[in-house]
Amino acid sequence: MSTWNIWSVPVVIIALAIIAPVLAIFYSAFLGDTALWPHLFSTVLPRYILNTLILMLGVGSLSLIFGVSTAWIITRYNFPGKIILEWALVLPAAVPAYIIAYTYTDFFEYAGPVQGFMRDFFGWNNSQDYWFPNIRSMGGAVLVMSSVLYPYIYLMTRASFLSTSTSFFQTSAIYGRNTFLYVALPLARPGIIAGLALVLMETISDFGTVDYFAIETLTLGVFNVWLGMNSLSGASQISSVLFLIVVVLLTLEYLARRNQRFHEKSSGQNIMPEQEISVFAKVICLILCLIPFTLGFLIPVIILLNFVFSGFAVINFNEILDTTFASISLSFFAAILVMSISFLMVVVANYKSNSFQKIIIFLASCGYAFPGTILAVGTVVFVGWLNELIHFHISYFVGGFMVLMFAYTIRFLAVGNGAIRSGVMRIHPNLMDASRTMGVSFFQSLRRVIFPLVYTNILVGGILVFVDILKELPITLLLRPFNFETLATYVYQYASDEMLEESSFAALIIVIAGLGPVIFLSSTIKNISKKKQSNKT
Amino acid sequence: MRKYLLILLASLSIDIIVINLAYANEEVNVYSYRQPILINPFFEEFTNSTGIKINVLHAKKGLLERLLAEGADTPADLVLTVDISRLTQFAKEDVLMSINSSVLINNIPFYLRDNNNRWFALSKRARIVAISKDRVPDGAIINIEDLANPRWKGKICTRPGSHEYNRSLLASIIAAHGEKIAEDWAKGLVANLARKPEGNDRAQAKAIYEGVCDIALMNTYYFGKMKFNEKNTEQKDWAQSINLVFTNQNDRGNHINVTGGGVVKYSKNKKNAIALLEFLTKPKVQELYSSMNYEYPVNPTMSLSAELKSWGEFKEDKLPIEKLAEFTPTAQKIIDRVGW
Repeated sequence: MSTWNIWSVPVVIIALAIIAPVLAIFYSAFLGDTALWPHLFSTVLPRYILNTLILMLGVGSLSLIFGVSTAWIITRYNFPGKIILEWALVLPAAVPAYIIAYTYTDFFEYAGPVQGFMRDFFGWNNSQDYWFPNIRSMGGAVLVMSSVLYPYIYLMTRASFLSTSTSFFQTSAIYGRNTFLYVALPLARPGIIAGLALVLMETISDFGTVDYFAIETLTLGVFNVWLGMNSLSGASQISSVLFLIVVVLLTLEYLARRNQRFHEKSSGQNIMPEQEISVFAKVICLILCLIPFTLGFLIPVIILLNFVFSGFAVINFNEILDTTFASISLSFFAAILVMSISFLMVVVANYKSNSFQKIIIFLASCGYAFPGTILAVGTVVFVGWLNELIHFHISYFVGGFMVLMFAYTIRFLAVGNGAIRSGVMRIHPNLMDASRTMGVSFFQSLRRVIFPLVYTNILVGGILVFVDILKELPITLLLRPFNFETLATYVYQYASDEMLEESSFAALIIVIAGLGPVIFLSSTIKNISKKKQSNKT
Repeated sequence: MRKYLLILLASLSIDIIVINLAYANEEVNVYSYRQPILINPFFEEFTNSTGIKINVLHAKKGLLERLLAEGADTPADLVLTVDISRLTQFAKEDVLMSINSSVLINNIPFYLRDNNNRWFALSKRARIVAISKDRVPDGAIINIEDLANPRWKGKICTRPGSHEYNRSLLASIIAAHGEKIAEDWAKGLVANLARKPEGNDRAQAKAIYEGVCDIALMNTYYFGKMKFNEKNTEQKDWAQSINLVFTNQNDRGNHINVTGGGVVKYSKNKKNAIALLEFLTKPKVQELYSSMNYEYPVNPTMSLSAELKSWGEFKEDKLPIEKLAEFTPTAQKIIDRVGW
């Protein structure tokens, strides 16, 4: 069977189109002069790189702790509040990092309620009387970003735990080994690593939080060079450093997975039994799950609600209602597009490709690591170049929704791919072979065998993409049509002028809009589990 | 379920096609670095008096790159920016047309517009020094150069140097003294900082109020926005705690930056775009810049509003404004070197 077939050729073409804007960034990096490099090397670059690495290490570790521990507790133990926390733990994903940065600063700063309370309580008079950690610091950034990013790890890890066969656990029990360390963790590694990779890429590309907290990362550097030195090519060059870090990350992820493929021949015994535990242990479980939920959701939502109440008079509810509708339909449509492309790419890479094609498809995920604005610029540059080549009247596309959708795909494909790949990799190749041997076409095999097996993964990815697009700011800002606002741009235009009351309600809606799909997802996962359970008996 | 999904998808696809037909011919399409909330009142005035509708796209970064990529196909007619450096970039990339308008030339002094009439300043903002009413005596700071004096060690707060307002201030010092002295000044300033540069201009006033520092750099309109903030009344206290110092009144004058605009070379609707630009320089609209946003009018026939006057009339640095843009990249390099 040739590897250049009716499946792989279109997929490789799509993948190339998705890589093209990233290449456009590289092109402009090499086009420009490199005169800035000696200056950057001797001044800011070491600092940028160091800060970026520290931030990645911090956010990666804390997100892992939050995500994996909660996923395990929720899957394994029974305790009061579990039914709610099971899906509530995903909710912080809907809180944009820039919003949590604003709200936390407001909450923890000198004039905020926390320090105000402490001053009243201890009788301190001013900032010289006591020490309080500055939220606008590396530590603050790690805390804030981990609180909203850990759900990526939680979701993917939990999906892995849920589909781990019980027989493994029984085996470990027989040998008296620790189930979590020796069975669950190693088996969930693809899910954990997929989640971690997303968290790290999101951390690298973040601009809103690091800008607000004045943490000098590479991404902040990109903008200083671009706008401060009027050098887009210099900015692209720094972006290329970002890109290198990501390629290293993705390669590590790939290598980690290559040596350990996890296949399951059946899906019949997938329900891990819940363990009964002591009351004390139940309280511990509850507290461990409440910490990230409180940090990533409860506190910011309470602060936002407070703003909504105090600013009730200045909030334009009609405008926000329209914006909400526009935002949700846009995100919904784009999420379906991204997930369809992701599914196609992952299965074709897995079943229908040679290594060259696999690399192309692999590279198509890299857009996630670029700062949104740079990616948006790369997109317009690429589309503009196409327009010069074959004139198709570009303004009908840029500033319509098509280019916006295209850019969303470039940016969020990694999320979809990560989610689906961690599902597909658990499917034993024999299943596909068996199906094909029985004379079923590839398409039908996908539909009848693969799709049902990765359905949960598609949902998980789809919801993450939906929520990601709902809160996406820089790409939407630059590529949207005239007079068009999404909830995120609406929040931004007020929040950037510190009009938090006006922006609070729309911000709250972004968070709430994430509720629906999250609850839907959670109930779907449950139903699937139940179905499997009843099939078994 | 599947049927509804298909209907939804179909209707969305129609949206995608139809939205582009909305850019009708007479309307003016604006790419704006300024937030819609700050310029919409002007646009409403314009639409009311002329019947011409205005469409806005606001972004803080990348509009120039989008315009360049769209080339001759661009739907944009007018560009509005908040910093001189951005404005001159548009001219440099040759995407603005030269406008022959006596209205603009009469309403805007020469040092606030392009030699070739491609861009025009529409409002001015002064970057001043805010000092604590209680802790810094009047007359202790007269010139911007004073901020590098070791006397103020641990007393100064600013936002990060890489912000365009600070970059442009440093560019004005380069223009006045040359790169070497400007770098020494920046070094001295950084040595005097009370804390790592963070937050925006308002946050610095707050820091003075809270006693974190005594001296800060600030754009004047923030003072107005704090002083009259009915929603966050605590900001009134911040404004109460500071005095404004217009610097260098005995030599070159206080540094100013501008907001401005220009008409896109490939505009499909130049007539109306120019009309809008002219409209923005008229006394009635210029007054709105002061009353709504506490910015200084560019139109020389205007006198200052009572509020702005109460802050003090001042001599401004009349360096041709595009010189600032010229020194901006050097300023950023100095900022990188001194770690501001």
